Amino acid sequence: MVKASRVLLRDGGLAISKTLSEILVCPLSKQPLRICEKSNSLISDATGVSFPIVDGIPCLVPNDGKIIDTDDMPKPEGAAIDSADKIGT
Amino acid sequence: MAASVHLILQPPPNHHRPIFRLRRRPVRCADERQALFSRIAPVYDNLNDVLSLGQHRIWKRMAVSWSGAKEGNNVLDLCCGSGDLAFLLSEKVGPNGKVIGLDFSKEQLSVASSRQHSRSKACFNNIEWVEGNTLELPFSDCYFDAITMGYGLRNVINFHKAMEEMYRVLKPSSQVSILDFNKSTDTFSASFQEWMIDNVVVTVANGYGFAEEYKYLKSSIQEFLTGKELEKLALGVGFAKSKHFEIGGGLMGNLVATR
Repeated sequence: MVKASRVLLRDGGLAISKTLSEILVCPLSKQPLRICEKSNSLISDATGVSFPIVDGIPCLVPNDGKIIDTDDMPKPEGAAIDSADKIGT
Repeated sequence: MAASVHLILQPPPNHHRPIFRLRRRPVRCADERQALFSRIAPVYDNLNDVLSLGQHRIWKRMAVSWSGAKEGNNVLDLCCGSGDLAFLLSEKVGPNGKVIGLDFSKEQLSVASSRQHSRSKACFNNIEWVEGNTLELPFSDCYFDAITMGYGLRNVINFHKAMEEMYRVLKPSSQVSILDFNKSTDTFSASFQEWMIDNVVVTVANGYGFAEEYKYLKSSIQEFLTGKELEKLALGVGFAKSKHFEIGGGLMGNLVATR
């Protein structure tokens, strides 16, 4: 049995498996998500929202999402990525 | 630490927001229920064993059986809690299958994840945990070969929306198996169940410091749907077949619906 490889974060922590990241969609738009290793999150490009990954568990309750400031919008892999902007309440 | 913000997004054209139910419900809102399940997470498994005298293990095996899950399948366990059903599904689908356990409580998922890593069975590597909302599932349409839900449906604030989401993410001809307390229409059964909760469940839970949390059980059963109502709900959202089975001497029930 081949153990699914997990995406590693830059700090050496675990994110989620690639297989899981391909299964998951944005809970609101139902559009695909992509992993952002730098911010340890799943990005919905369709809605401009990022969802955190905590201890290897993706947090996809809609309220967990944070709207990404367009200036800091993480680009698809290969481009420079800035961390998601948190809007305080 | 910055708090999460409530998202105000424009929903896509085909996405229907859940309609807020105007019917007055004397039970708590979703956030309070989430907090409740998070508080009881450390004792949840233990109490399940004590309160049901271990019978819950049998009911859960029945629920998994009814789901029709088999080797190699991709399956979903909703409101997975500490993972009992997910672990049973994991054995069923084997290393070539995949189990996703979804719950809205971080604490319950943390317990589930710890249990997964503390067990020696290699097939448990096929389980992934996701924090999510049963009313807004983060999965594509028609993805899963089977869905289970154990003692979860009664705790969601919108039964209809939950059933719609289960229908949406299920493959055609696949099944959902929903295990929960039975809201009996039989006066004797209902009275016995109430007596058990008042005099046994709450008393035992009190010993663990969770009397108030388990008092919620009685009102949640009163607010739940009967077997017939559950069958009708499933058919109403589009399931082709649905049947509710009473088990555990009528204390528990299992709805099986086929897309």
